[in-house]
Amino acid sequence: METQRLTANYLHLQRLSTEDGPGIRTTVFLKGCPLHCAWCHNPESIGKKSHIQWLSHLCIGCKTCVLSCPGGCISMENGKLRIDYKICALCGKCAEACPANALEILGKEINSQDLSEELLKDQAFFAKSGGGVTLSGGEPALQADFCTALMKLLKEQGVHTALDTCGLVPQINLEMILPYTDLVMYDLKLMDAGQHQQFTGASNERILQNLRWLVAKVRDGSLPLTLWIRTPLIPNATAKKENLQAIAVFLNETTVDLVERWELCAFNNLCRDKYMRLGMNWNYQNQALMSRAELDECLEWTKQVYRKPQTVSVTGAARVEE
Amino acid sequence: MSKPQTEPRQTAIKQPYNLSARIQWLRDFYFQGVNRPWNNEYTSWTTGTPWDFQYQEASFHIVPETFSFLQTFRSSFKQNAYPVELHKDFWKWSIAERKAWFLHEVMVKHLPKEILPGDLLAGARFNVMLSACLTQKEAKEYAKAIFDKGGARQALLWFHNHGYGNSGATSGHLIPGYARVLKEGWKGIYQELEEYYRKLPAVQKRGAEGAQLKAMLTAATVARDLAAEYAKVCKEMVAQEQDKKRKTELEQMAANLERVPWEPATTFWEAMQSLWLTHMLVMSDESYPGPGVSFGRLDQYLYPYWQRSMQDGVEREFCKEVMKCFWVHANTAYDGMIRTGGNQGITAGYGQLFTISGMGADGKDMTNDLTYAILEVIDEMSPILEPKPNVRLHRNSPEKLLDVVVDMIAGSQGAPFLLNFDERSMAGMMLEAKRAGVKDLINAGNVYDYAPVGCLENTMAGNDRSGTVDANLNLLKAVELTMTGGYDLNPYVDGMTGKTEKSQCWGVDTGDVTRFKTWEEFWNAYARQTGSIIRRIVDLYELTEANRSKFSPTPYLSCLVRGCAEKGKDITQGGAQLNFVTIEAVTYATTVDSLLAVKYLVFDEKVCSMAELLQALKDNWVGHEVLQARAINKAPKYGRDDDEADRMAKAVMDVWTEETWKYKTRSTGRQFRPGMLSWNYWVADSNLLAASPDGRAKGKFLSNALCPSNGADNKGPTANVNSVGKVLGGKAKNGKGDWEEYLNCLPNGGSHTMTFNPSLVRDAEHRAKFKGFLRGYSENGGSALQINMIDADTLRDAQCHPENYKHLLVRVTGYNAYFTSIGKELQDEIIARESHHF
Repeated sequence: METQRLTANYLHLQRLSTEDGPGIRTTVFLKGCPLHCAWCHNPESIGKKSHIQWLSHLCIGCKTCVLSCPGGCISMENGKLRIDYKICALCGKCAEACPANALEILGKEINSQDLSEELLKDQAFFAKSGGGVTLSGGEPALQADFCTALMKLLKEQGVHTALDTCGLVPQINLEMILPYTDLVMYDLKLMDAGQHQQFTGASNERILQNLRWLVAKVRDGSLPLTLWIRTPLIPNATAKKENLQAIAVFLNETTVDLVERWELCAFNNLCRDKYMRLGMNWNYQNQALMSRAELDECLEWTKQVYRKPQTVSVTGAARVEE
Repeated sequence: MSKPQTEPRQTAIKQPYNLSARIQWLRDFYFQGVNRPWNNEYTSWTTGTPWDFQYQEASFHIVPETFSFLQTFRSSFKQNAYPVELHKDFWKWSIAERKAWFLHEVMVKHLPKEILPGDLLAGARFNVMLSACLTQKEAKEYAKAIFDKGGARQALLWFHNHGYGNSGATSGHLIPGYARVLKEGWKGIYQELEEYYRKLPAVQKRGAEGAQLKAMLTAATVARDLAAEYAKVCKEMVAQEQDKKRKTELEQMAANLERVPWEPATTFWEAMQSLWLTHMLVMSDESYPGPGVSFGRLDQYLYPYWQRSMQDGVEREFCKEVMKCFWVHANTAYDGMIRTGGNQGITAGYGQLFTISGMGADGKDMTNDLTYAILEVIDEMSPILEPKPNVRLHRNSPEKLLDVVVDMIAGSQGAPFLLNFDERSMAGMMLEAKRAGVKDLINAGNVYDYAPVGCLENTMAGNDRSGTVDANLNLLKAVELTMTGGYDLNPYVDGMTGKTEKSQCWGVDTGDVTRFKTWEEFWNAYARQTGSIIRRIVDLYELTEANRSKFSPTPYLSCLVRGCAEKGKDITQGGAQLNFVTIEAVTYATTVDSLLAVKYLVFDEKVCSMAELLQALKDNWVGHEVLQARAINKAPKYGRDDDEADRMAKAVMDVWTEETWKYKTRSTGRQFRPGMLSWNYWVADSNLLAASPDGRAKGKFLSNALCPSNGADNKGPTANVNSVGKVLGGKAKNGKGDWEEYLNCLPNGGSHTMTFNPSLVRDAEHRAKFKGFLRGYSENGGSALQINMIDADTLRDAQCHPENYKHLLVRVTGYNAYFTSIGKELQDEIIARESHHF
């Protein structure tokens, strides 16, 4: 991570976001994640570097991109576009030229000042709904200087700030950001370190350690922030009785009194297209959404063990049953 | 994260509930439509002269769907008219006196009086087509002005066929002084009229003022005498009624009718009876079934009677039952042409609009128990079209009200009411007071008593006719005229004869567009063309306005509008204290986006030359697909909270509104004011307007009212809302707006429709967020919002299985329609409209 960087590589903003914290929010999706979760819903956010993708359904086949590329790395055969990623310098000229917006650069640079101005446009909605801004990703805390600068600007304007984190970042990053954070949404996916390694590509040791540190800071009053825990419910991975109850035990032992809510986020498969566009395989390609009964069962398992059962909830969609 | 499309489908279409056997029967009976043994279909009435006619077609010059039938309607009403034996002095009177007498005669003596089974309110038949009451000479002059060659009809058709829009002096669309009738009774109005007449100098007594007041005196007795007839009917029914409970009800109805509407109302039941009879007679007087004859702040002026009845121990549910009867009565307005149109003539919201809640003096909230009772009635009766509800929201609206409002939105496929936003609306009313020099009539001390009419058009109550649907102008025509230097881009081809019109400079000659060197040149030409189309609509309007003021007085309605008695002038002659005509701009976003595209493509990015763009438009974009894609995807758009694009949008707004303020009607001195309501013109006129620089091909729908172009608002609903608020003027930087910090350059208000996915209100937490959205809208948004809460899957299913969705209402521009009764094109459009997902 570069230090003192006030610009970030970001994917996009989602305004009137109702699923990423209290009230009406704008969620900022930053790029780059230290985990590679098998089920990841935002595969485009994993890599730190920007990427260019072709949206075939928008393409009108005019080949303007082919002509506009200074490196000559785009070709079109039989209506199919090929980009030679080895040569592509991500100059963005093709995306700029494409009349149909069928070429998209994933990951653009933005500076904290400009972004904060854009975010403040919805301040009335934040204020009236008890909402604010959520930094998500990817792992936003990887770009700690930027997050800190941005949240600072937002706090100066009285905007509520939230950080949606996987926890796998150097503790120093959190130390920088959290003084300007009102709410931390902390992911706990799998309690078993081996399984965590297997499904996400990293052990959960640092994640749990950071959470313990964070809890201590909240407890002693040096970080007066609200804490939510989020657990994605993934069939045959996280959505298992032993895992959910192990998380509940961990929370009971460490932080239950400080956790305002624990959200179980239902698996969703909307990202299928994203994987296809990125040319990536996805193990969950054919995975159906969980049924309402399965989601309820997960909720029940956690409630059996968790000391504040009324604060656990399931978010997201269930399978439509005809 | 965004919600998947697999969210459980919300196919549970709203159904009525908690209806008594009486109301259930009346409601079911109503929906039998043409199969009903009784209905309120038009009856037509004539003086018996060969030149007589009934159909005042100018009221329909704003309804392009009727243009082909104007002559047919006129003839069939004439052919079916019953003759009325005239008073011996009839032809000696002024037109207003004749009309007042004729109304009285038909309503009191000729029209049958019936009480529907179980009904608690009298006043069933009111859809009439009354004689124009003209002499041969007058009728001839009328015909010359309207139907004959060179008359208003021909001018209108030219205007419409060339894509400018439409215009005509239209009935309804105001709030009569109902509150006054409840308080003083017609007796009070009558006594005041006598007083004005008595005070007239002898010369004027014999002149126009005297004749007008005499006509109004006659008109002021219609409600009294009709009530007396209905009281007799009730008494006859009492004699024959076996059921004891019903007997008592009928006795009370007779007693009510013997008092009201002549005397002031004392109970809630009396008040509703007084209100209904008074209201239905407006529709009879104008021979126009309902559109826009609105009630104003129903929960405010009915509240004293509600309280009184509650104190007297009348059951709350019974008072609601009286209101539900009122609801059924209001819907029978549609019976007028019950045998034409889809769904048995019951198609889209006529707009007998009422409003509830809202602000009072000093920013105080005025929600009361009656507000909630009315909301219960709406929810229990819904889906039903009339009367059309509106809820006024503001900064101090109570949480409880918002809870009810959002729950109803969640359960009814969207809001069963329009939402009006007080701060923005009042800023517009204050602007109009300033611009028209009527601060004595609209000011900080009373502006909170404004109310919307029709769909969402803001006016004052009981003294205001603002002609809110009388002039509908396609702003986009000015872009076309700029591109051509004043000609039609595609010459007009007559659909009947196939003849192509000779090309001619209709607009102002702004020169050869391909020679423009700078954007400023283009912009200045656009501004001049805008001036020319506004001038044109003002001139077109004048034709029917002048004619109406001369030949079509409505003396009964004039009694209910402050100013007419004082001035001794009919409302059609500009008698009301507040006299505006509203130009409703249509195609706003398409116009803005077209200008943004010209600037982007030709001047800023130099993607193409002006000549290339012009050719592409002539070719309807065929063969220019790449350029078209650039226009659609690359050029900036209004509705994305993009400050630069929205600055252009504001500039467009400033140009057309300033031009509008320049004019008054010549015959009646009514000031033109700006508003934005597109009814269905944005769909209907899409085939009349040539391809536009924003990438839209001819035939593709135009933008609706204040809304961004379909699909252009890709930054989500809050960005859409922010753009809308900005172009109305936003908030004053120094905090000194027209109402507190608020500005609103459209006193009439602007229609804003948004469609959301039902998942947004799926549980209590999300409903609380939606409340926050509405409160945010109050700060940043427009004057009125219509919400649909429905997913595309449900609508597609409704298209395939209309039988399962008979009661599915969709809402566009405050224009409510049963989804299954509208054409496939519009259905597809509603489905395609990017619904806002979360």
